[in-house]
Amino acid sequence: MPAPILQVEGLTKTYSGKQVVKGISFDVKKGETFGILGPNGAGKTTTLEMIETLRPIDGGQAVINGADVAKDPQAIRYMIGVQTQSTAFMDKVKLTELLEQQAAAYGERINPLELLRQVNLDSQADSYIENLSGGQKQRFSIAAALVHKPKVFFLDEPTTGLDPQARRRLWDLIKKVKSQGMTVILTTHYMEEAEMLCDRVAIMDEGRIVAMDTPQNLIRQLLKRGFKKARKVEQADLEDVFIDLTGKELHS
Amino acid sequence: MKWLILLAAIVLIRLAFRFKLLGRRSGGEASRPSDAQKPLPPWRRSLFTVGVFAKVSIKRYFRDRVAIFFTVLFPLIFLFVFGSLGKNNNVSFHIGLINQSGTAFAQKFVSNTKASGTFKIDSTVTNLSQAKAKMSRSEIDATLVLPPSFGEIGHSGYPSGQAIIYFDENSAQAAQTLQSVIQGQFENINSSLIKIKPPLSVISQSTNTQGLSKLDYTVSGLIGFSIIGLGIFGPVNYFPLMKRQGVLRRLHITPLRVWQFFVSSVLSNAVIGLFSIAIMIAVASSPLFHFKITGNYLELGVFLVLSILTIFGIGLAIGGWAKNENQAAPLANIIVFPMLFLSGTFFPRYVMPLWLQHVTDFLPLTPIIDGIRMISTEGKHLTDIGPQLGLMGLWAVIIYAIAFRVFRWE
Repeated sequence: MPAPILQVEGLTKTYSGKQVVKGISFDVKKGETFGILGPNGAGKTTTLEMIETLRPIDGGQAVINGADVAKDPQAIRYMIGVQTQSTAFMDKVKLTELLEQQAAAYGERINPLELLRQVNLDSQADSYIENLSGGQKQRFSIAAALVHKPKVFFLDEPTTGLDPQARRRLWDLIKKVKSQGMTVILTTHYMEEAEMLCDRVAIMDEGRIVAMDTPQNLIRQLLKRGFKKARKVEQADLEDVFIDLTGKELHS
Repeated sequence: MKWLILLAAIVLIRLAFRFKLLGRRSGGEASRPSDAQKPLPPWRRSLFTVGVFAKVSIKRYFRDRVAIFFTVLFPLIFLFVFGSLGKNNNVSFHIGLINQSGTAFAQKFVSNTKASGTFKIDSTVTNLSQAKAKMSRSEIDATLVLPPSFGEIGHSGYPSGQAIIYFDENSAQAAQTLQSVIQGQFENINSSLIKIKPPLSVISQSTNTQGLSKLDYTVSGLIGFSIIGLGIFGPVNYFPLMKRQGVLRRLHITPLRVWQFFVSSVLSNAVIGLFSIAIMIAVASSPLFHFKITGNYLELGVFLVLSILTIFGIGLAIGGWAKNENQAAPLANIIVFPMLFLSGTFFPRYVMPLWLQHVTDFLPLTPIIDGIRMISTEGKHLTDIGPQLGLMGLWAVIIYAIAFRVFRWE
């Protein structure tokens, strides 16, 4: 069994007297895709931001690949990649230039075209970010987060606001990144997304982890408790119909 | 010579590209960072980072038409407005001249006055009622009337008479000036008629040193205005926007240091600033305005870069501190507008009360405006403006200490 690349122990965060993250602990193994699920306000984003060095850690500890997040944030920054919101890129700058700049922040030179090819945006190399579609922007922000080949890749609700085709393309991309051996940690509202992508998920509610296992095990445990769906499950749903009719490969 | 500053700007842009070369040389060791757990980038990698960031913002600027409008065309509009105001510097009076006398002396006086060009004589005025109507509309400032007996040979054997100047209440000052000019002419004639040398006399003589013309003053002030616009209002608008969009948050996740971000911003600002100032100086030096730089272009360029560095720090501090536009804009206005008016940008500081001059001596913009004037119009060298450079240096240290302390990525 591979050693955990991320260890989180008793993490807490308090905003103006209210504890929003209440002592969270979990490990993520190397190469694993780990999902954090939960309703809005559960503390998912705050937890990620503490691990990403963006928010001070109030209590507990987070260690990535042996480096303590609170003690050595600069070492952590070299090891992690974070997919940011798609507006986080300056307008009137070409995609290639944005990637060169992002890499320069790590003191590195890269071949931006090569990276754009990996996310199927090489035809847009000279475009500005404001001329891309929503799905293209998301894919670009993944490319930007991976310029320095990080060890751990964080995505915060990567497919929120995307249409079904764009979502599926993004899932394919995340799977591709995962298949290259990257450790991926993502938050999401969409359960089918978690089921499709994640090896293990943690379900958060009100600042605590209420369950943590593989998606299959969590479903099995629920069924064991005698759960029955109210509606008979069909072999396909409306989204499958939509994708079948509109196609997924045609749209970029 | 005129384009030396533009040349300096181009050299700076080239320098930004040079960092690429630096990066390429260190590229071998840098290409596999995942092997090193905690890479310690050498100084060249740090500079490479700074260079790429500066290069990207300079490129971005030249694609941004709105930014170019505000940094290049906007100061030019001011130049045209202030420059054409300054042109009417040697005002000449418009007067009416009514000669009621038929004497040879009066006719000669009229033709001499017309020929001298001291006054602009409105030839359509032939009688007093026309003159009064024109004066009431301020079309002419005063009316000189030579009465019928003017220039007749008197008892003394010389031409004599009394000219009358008519004026209305809103041109009393013009009438007074006109009177003293005519008086002076009469005295000349008098002394040529009666050969005596008056015991007291006064003449004026030029010292042949160049003073500040109104246009010189305007252009130096406008350069200061450009530096303020670009160095303060630029980042004050742009930084909160980058925070709102999450651009700075994204950079915060990377190992990019605040100082690298600051240095790259200063670099790009200096290049853009020199570019816009070079265009303004070029336009001001054109035959339209005849502005002339007497000092050394290279020294002016160096001084401008230091000025931009100092002033940009203020914008960096405000924009870096502010969480949003609503915080940034009022603070910038509170700092900029008093400074703009108190540092001698648009009118000279010597018109202020003495105590205010002493206070405004120490504003950060004052040594900049003074320095630009001393180099560009008085031909001084950097070594002559030690006090100005010292004060700017002191301000730069204070400003950047504050900017580093208050900077927020989000």
